[in-house]
Amino acid sequence: MAKLNILPVPTFARLGVNYAERDITAFGRKDIAVPDGAEQHIIQNISSDSETNVAVGSGAKLKLVQVFDGRTRCAAILRTVLADNAEFELIQLYLGGDTVSEAVTELNGYKAAFTADIGYNIGNGGGLDLNIVSVHHGRRSTSDITAGGVLRENAVKTFKGTIDFKTGAAGAVGNEKEDVILMSGDVCNKTVPVILCAEEDVVGNHGATIGRIDESHIFYMKSRGIPEEKIYELITRSKLARVIGKIGDEQEEKRICSALGWGDELE
Amino acid sequence: MKEKTQVADINRSLYDFRYDEDESSFLNSGITPEIIREISAEKGDPEWMTEFRLHSLEIFGRMKMPEWGPSIEGLDLDNIVAYIRPKKRMQTDWSDVPDDVRETFEKLGIPQAERESLAGVGAQYDSELVYHNVRKEVAESGVVYTDLESAMHDDRYAEIIRSHFMKLVPPTDHKFAALHGAVWSGGSFVYVPKGVKLEIPLQSYFRLNARGAGQFEHTLIIVEDDAYLHFIEGCSAPKYYEASLHAGCVELYVGNNSTLRYSTIENWSKNMYNLNTKRAAVGENAKVEWVSGSFGSHISYLYPMSILNGRGARAEFTGITFAGEGQNLDTGAKIVHNAPDTSSYMNTRSISKSGGISTFRSSVVINGNAVGSKSAVSCESLMLDSKSRSDTIPTMVVKTDKADVGHEARIGRISDEAVFYLMSRGLDENSAKALIVSGFAENVSKELPLEYAVEMNNLINIEMKGSIG
Amino acid sequence: MGELLKITELRTAAENKEILHGVSLTVNEGETHVIMGPNGAGKSTLGAAIMGSPEYSVTGGTISFLGENITSEAPDKRAKRGIFLSFQNPVEIPGITLSSFLRSAYEQITGERIKLFAFKKLLNSAMEVLQMDAEYADRELNVGFSGGEKKKAEILQLLVLKPKLAILDETDSGLDVDAVKTVSAGIKAYKEQTGGSLLIITHNTKILEALSVDRTHVIADGRIAAEGGAELIDEISANGFEKFI
Repeated sequence: MAKLNILPVPTFARLGVNYAERDITAFGRKDIAVPDGAEQHIIQNISSDSETNVAVGSGAKLKLVQVFDGRTRCAAILRTVLADNAEFELIQLYLGGDTVSEAVTELNGYKAAFTADIGYNIGNGGGLDLNIVSVHHGRRSTSDITAGGVLRENAVKTFKGTIDFKTGAAGAVGNEKEDVILMSGDVCNKTVPVILCAEEDVVGNHGATIGRIDESHIFYMKSRGIPEEKIYELITRSKLARVIGKIGDEQEEKRICSALGWGDELE
Repeated sequence: MKEKTQVADINRSLYDFRYDEDESSFLNSGITPEIIREISAEKGDPEWMTEFRLHSLEIFGRMKMPEWGPSIEGLDLDNIVAYIRPKKRMQTDWSDVPDDVRETFEKLGIPQAERESLAGVGAQYDSELVYHNVRKEVAESGVVYTDLESAMHDDRYAEIIRSHFMKLVPPTDHKFAALHGAVWSGGSFVYVPKGVKLEIPLQSYFRLNARGAGQFEHTLIIVEDDAYLHFIEGCSAPKYYEASLHAGCVELYVGNNSTLRYSTIENWSKNMYNLNTKRAAVGENAKVEWVSGSFGSHISYLYPMSILNGRGARAEFTGITFAGEGQNLDTGAKIVHNAPDTSSYMNTRSISKSGGISTFRSSVVINGNAVGSKSAVSCESLMLDSKSRSDTIPTMVVKTDKADVGHEARIGRISDEAVFYLMSRGLDENSAKALIVSGFAENVSKELPLEYAVEMNNLINIEMKGSIG
Repeated sequence: MGELLKITELRTAAENKEILHGVSLTVNEGETHVIMGPNGAGKSTLGAAIMGSPEYSVTGGTISFLGENITSEAPDKRAKRGIFLSFQNPVEIPGITLSSFLRSAYEQITGERIKLFAFKKLLNSAMEVLQMDAEYADRELNVGFSGGEKKKAEILQLLVLKPKLAILDETDSGLDVDAVKTVSAGIKAYKEQTGGSLLIITHNTKILEALSVDRTHVIADGRIAAEGGAELIDEISANGFEKFI
C-alpha cells in the first residue's frame, strides 16, 4: 500500500487525516509545459490512476479542468510549478466514485497566481480524499482555493487544504474556503484547513462551514412552492453548476450536464 | 523603508528567582520499577495505587513518542528526577511553611491573592503540596479542596477517587499520560456538592524549583449537579540549563446543569517541556469553560479536551499563546460532541516573535449521535517578524447531517495603518505595537479575573518591550 | 366573489409564549385587506402563520384556503395552492442564483417544465416593471442585496409566481420614496395581471395610495382590536393606534 495525500504537517493520528492509503500499480503520466507568455486551456477526464506534472512559464496562463467521472476508484496526483507572473486556474469536478486526489502547486515566481475551484457530489458509499497544497515561495504570490459540494448516503470525504507561506514570500496572500452540505445522517466529513506561516508580511484566511441546510432557507424555499427533496436537488445542482460554469468550454459543459441528467442546460 | 521593532529577550526576573535545593531530598533520577516502588512507599500509597503506578510504567515502556508536534529529543527521561521529598508536611497556615518556600510564594503574590480574592488556595513546591487551605464558610458548604494524597486516605473520598482517577485520561492515552500514571505526585482534589455555587474562585499554584526535575501533579475535580466552580491554575519555574519536565494531568467531571470554569496562566521557564493533559467530561446542560494563557515553556503540547456526554452540554475554549525566542508552543483544544444538542465554541489567538514557533492545533469531532449540535471555531495568529513561525492545523470531523460546524482563521501581521494611527496620536512605535497586541489578546484577558488579566498584560508588555532598530 | 382565506380563532405560540390570542378574519377573492397595528402586536406572526412558518406553532383555531383546512400543511403545499408571503427580512441563500431558484419554484407551482430561454423572457419582463437590472437574475439569492433590492426581489417573485393571495409583510419598510413607488407599481401590476387578493401588513399608508382597500384590520396585543373599511386607515394616520391599545 502506498501512502498518498500526506498532510504537510501531521496532526493527531487518531483523526485518520494524516494520509490516505491506496494500492497502486502504475500511474498514467502526463506532462504539461506552458511556455513563457503562452496561454493554454486543457480538459482532462480522469478515470484511472494518473500523475500530471505541470510547469507554467513566466507570464503564461493555464486553465486546467479535471473531471472525475465518478464511476471508478482512482488516484490522481497533480504537481505544478509556477514561474514569475504565471497564472494557474485549476477546476476540479468529482461526480461520485471513490477518489484520492492531490494537487501540490509551487508558487515559485513573483506574483505567481493559483486559483482552484473544486466541486463534488459524493454518495452511494463513495469516497473522496483531497489534498490541495499551495506553497508560496514567490513574493506577492496569491492563491485562492474554493471547494464545495454535497455528501449523501454513506459518503466519506476528507478535504485537506494547506496554504504554506515560506520565508521570503513577502506580500503573499492565500485564501481557502470549503462549504459542505450534508444530506444524510450516515455521512462522514473531515475538513482540515491548514495554514503554515514562516513569513511576517502575508495575509492568510481560511474558513469552512459544514452542516445541513439552514432551516430558514428551507422555509423560504418551501414558501415559494419548492418541496424538500427538490430543495436538496436544487442546492446540489447549484453547487456543481457554479464549478461547471467555470469550465469555459461549451461542449464539455453540455457533456457534463447531460451526464448528470440535467438535459443540456447548466441552470 | 519599513521600520522593524527589535524586541529584547523577555525579562523574567520576576519568575526566575530560585532557592538552592538540598539534593539529599532527590530520589534517584530515571524511571524504573524500583524508583516507582520507592515513590509509592514514600507517599504511603494504598495498594491499588502502587499497582496502578507499576502498570502505568509498563504501558509507558511500550508506547511510542508522539509522531506529530514539536521535537522532544532534548528531553532525556533518564535524567529527570521524578520525585523530590518535601522538607515538611503540608500546612494550612503560611507561617508554618518553610521560609524559602513561603518567600517564593510571597514573591508570586499567592498569599496576598488568597486574602483578597480567593475562596481557597493550594500551593505545590516541586513534588508535594506545601500549603492548602479553604475559607471556613466554603468548607462549611461541603466543598472539599485538599491534596489528592490525603483525600485518598480519607474514607469519605477514597472510593470516589479510586473510581475517577485516570478514568478520563487513562495511562494508555499517550506516552506521557502513562508516565504520569507511574510517577504522579501532588495536585489537588476538589469536590463541589450538588447545588453549591461557589462564587469566588479556588486556586492552585504549581512551582517547580528544583533543577532537572519533573513535576507530575494530578488535579481531580468533581462538580456535582446544579453547581458552579471557578478553578484557577498558575504555574511557574525558574530557569535552569537542564531540561525540566511537567507532565501533569487534569480530570474534570461536570455534573448536570453545572458550570466549571478552569483558568490557567502558564508561565513555566523556557527550559521546560510542558506535556500536560487536561480533560473534562460534561453532563446534561452542563458547561465547561476553559481559559488558557500559554506564555512559558521551551516546548508545550497542550490541548484541553472536552467530552460533551450529556444532552445540551456545552464547551467554551478561550486561549492565547505567545511564543518568543527559543519556544515551540503547540497548543489548542479538542472537543468531542457525544450527545444531542451539544455546542462548542473555540476562540484562540497566537503570537509569534523573535524566532518563536506557535502552532494552533485542534480537533472537533461530532459523532453520529450528536444530532442538533453546533460548533464554531475562530482562530487568529499574529506574526511579529519573519524569524518566527505560526502554523494553524485544525481538523473537523462530522458524522451526522444534523449539525452546524463553522470555522474561520486568519493569519497576518500588525497593520501599518493601525500603528501609524496610534503614532499620530502620540504613542511611540513600541507602545503602539504593545497596545495592538494587548488588544489582540483581549479575547482572553476579558475572561480572566481582573488581577490575572493585569498579570497577563504585564507578561505581554514584558515580551513586547524593546527598542526600535 | 368566493371566500379565499378564512382564519378562525387562530392562536399561535413561539417558544411557549402565546402571541396571537384568537384572531379571525376572512379575505374574499380579489379583495385587498390591510393589517395595521403597533410594533409587536402580532402582525408579522399572522403572516408567517398563514404561510406555515416552523417558528410558530398553531395552538388553536384553523386556517382554510378555498374551503380546505390547511392549518397543519407544509409551506410548499400552501404555496402550490396559491399563497405567497413577501418576507419582511428575506434570507440570503448563498450558492443559488435568483434565476435558478425562481425557475424551480415556477416549475413546481405551475407543474410544468419551462425552457431556460422562455423563463428568462418571462423573468426579464417582470424585472422591467420593477426597473431591476437584468444582472440580478444571476446573482446569488438576496446575497449582498440592499434592503430595497431584497424587497424588489420579493415583488419580482410575486409577479412571476402569480399567486391567488399575496401577503406583503412590511414590504414598504426601510425604502426610500423612489423605491416605494417602484414596489407599489409592482403590486399594482400584480393586481392588474391576476386579479389576486392582497393582505398588506404595513405601518405606512404611502404604499396603499394606488390601491383600493376593501377592509382594514387593526391588531393589538395579539387580538383584532378594530375593523373597518378604508376610512380606518385615514383615522389611524391622523390619530395613531392609542385608542386601540
